[in-house]
Amino acid sequence: MASTGLLHQQTNPSIVYRTRRLSKWKRAIPLYVMLLPTIAYFMALTYYPLVHSVLISMQDFNLIGNRPFVGIENFRNVLTDPTFWVDFRNTLVLGVSMLAIGFVAPIVIALSLNELMQQWLKRSVQMIIYLPHLFSWVVVGGLWIQLLNPDGGLVNAVLNAFGISSVQFMSDPNVARWVIILVSVWKDVGFNCVIYLAALVGINPELYASAQVDGANRWQETWYVTIPCLARTMQIVGLLSIMGVLRMFDQIYVMRNAVIDPTVNVLMTYVYDQGFTQMNIGQATASALIILLFSLLLTVFTRRLVRYEI
Amino acid sequence: MQRKMTGGRRVFTIVNVLFLALIASTMIVPLWNALAESFSSNLGSMQPGILMWPRHFSLSGYQTVWTVLDLWKPFENSVLVSVSGTLLHVLLSTLAGYALAQPSLPGRRVISGLILVTMMIPFEAIMIPFYVTIQQFGLLNTLIALILSGAVSGFSIILMKNFFQSIPTDILDAAKIDGAGHFRCLWRVYIPLSKAGLATVTLFEFVSRWNNLLTTVLLINDSSKNTLQVALNGLVNEGSATSSGNLVTTNVKMAGIIIAVLPLMLAYPFVQKYFVKGIFLGASKE
Repeated sequence: MASTGLLHQQTNPSIVYRTRRLSKWKRAIPLYVMLLPTIAYFMALTYYPLVHSVLISMQDFNLIGNRPFVGIENFRNVLTDPTFWVDFRNTLVLGVSMLAIGFVAPIVIALSLNELMQQWLKRSVQMIIYLPHLFSWVVVGGLWIQLLNPDGGLVNAVLNAFGISSVQFMSDPNVARWVIILVSVWKDVGFNCVIYLAALVGINPELYASAQVDGANRWQETWYVTIPCLARTMQIVGLLSIMGVLRMFDQIYVMRNAVIDPTVNVLMTYVYDQGFTQMNIGQATASALIILLFSLLLTVFTRRLVRYEI
Repeated sequence: MQRKMTGGRRVFTIVNVLFLALIASTMIVPLWNALAESFSSNLGSMQPGILMWPRHFSLSGYQTVWTVLDLWKPFENSVLVSVSGTLLHVLLSTLAGYALAQPSLPGRRVISGLILVTMMIPFEAIMIPFYVTIQQFGLLNTLIALILSGAVSGFSIILMKNFFQSIPTDILDAAKIDGAGHFRCLWRVYIPLSKAGLATVTLFEFVSRWNNLLTTVLLINDSSKNTLQVALNGLVNEGSATSSGNLVTTNVKMAGIIIAVLPLMLAYPFVQKYFVKGIFLGASKE
């Protein structure tokens, strides 16, 4: 039995010393076993691809056959490719607009929801606006492309009913950009809103009581008590959204079309198109590395800014 | 905080309720419209006009999706990949989360650091070398590749770790005195006390796997191994999924969408509560 073995060892002083020194590691063996699959996964499917991508980015990479070394040519090609800069600009425009609107909207909605006295109404609105967050971009994109369809779509039907002629939402590049921005905000607003609502519940009611003693009206209560109490949540939501901007892919992949590509394509679709449509794998990898650098800088910067650690 | 309803307050309440109703209707109307279209006849769904009720009620949309387009196979693949992938993900994150929650683990900081760094690397940024790696493993075009990718994530590990750390250590000490090893402690003590944490990770992962598009687009070429999202994208957004070349009518597209959201709607009553909990757990400091 294991226990008798242990007792036996403890009778011999030299072995006691060795087991003590080893025991910390020895006892941790089951823990390492638990960690093994995770470490193996990250090594094989995160770190190895990451390191490998540095190599690929400096090759004229073919899936089969020769892979001649080309040095920094891929990077040069990316940085001199006008499409890359168009997509870079689009990412900035879409990202900043989504961040700005997507940051304010859930706060406003959460505050209005919080003013509702009828709990059932509050809960139902909350449940409804949360729904789009659950759906995939294929579903959300499909729904909105159909709704905005110039012939037969609901939105244009409503516009027509008011005597406004149909708008070519998804084939006018400048309109389509706004559609992309607003649909993105629409999808996530409920999710972020629910986070704010959870934080609102946690605000100490005494703060409101003392504000009332000081003669604050409703607006002042919101401005001087509620908003400051939400600051921490705003940081978390803001950080999560900022980190998501450079990852933007699914929505664009699903909602884009040849006409609107120049105003809605983003950096990740650039990587995808280079890699899998034009089979420029080396150049695609180089651009992905450049984006990765951007996103690391952005992460470090926002972490500094909001001093938040996961 | 009960206050008297003043005139201004009443106006505010009315405006507020109208505002919220407007917001909520932008969420409910598209779905309602899709539902109405999915139950319309082929022609009815294509006619312009405001459609909030099936026009010429018919199940032909669903029939086409099922029989002509054979969305059943991608649906099956999606269920298989999502369920088994989620189980794997939950298993690995639980094991890793437990190990990292033990203060006695030597090298804990190094391993935590390695896991934290992976959270800063978006999958999209390494999608090409990821594809190459999967190809090197010979897993391209297999469902196993889809199940394996995302087998664990830094976010889930940290969520489980934070959950485990919130359990009082007295209970664990008692179990250890009784001679329980780490696996037994995890199985008998931690897991039964962590149902909420497990539910959070499970739902998070299931929803994200069910909705996943990119991984399948990358790794699967063979249409018999497509998942629902990819098949649906071909049907809804490109309209080219039919090999038979017939026109995909709106009712068919919307039927596909309704089928894709159905499992999520069924899980929905549980999702919201746990999602918020998960965000706060995952975001709390070490």
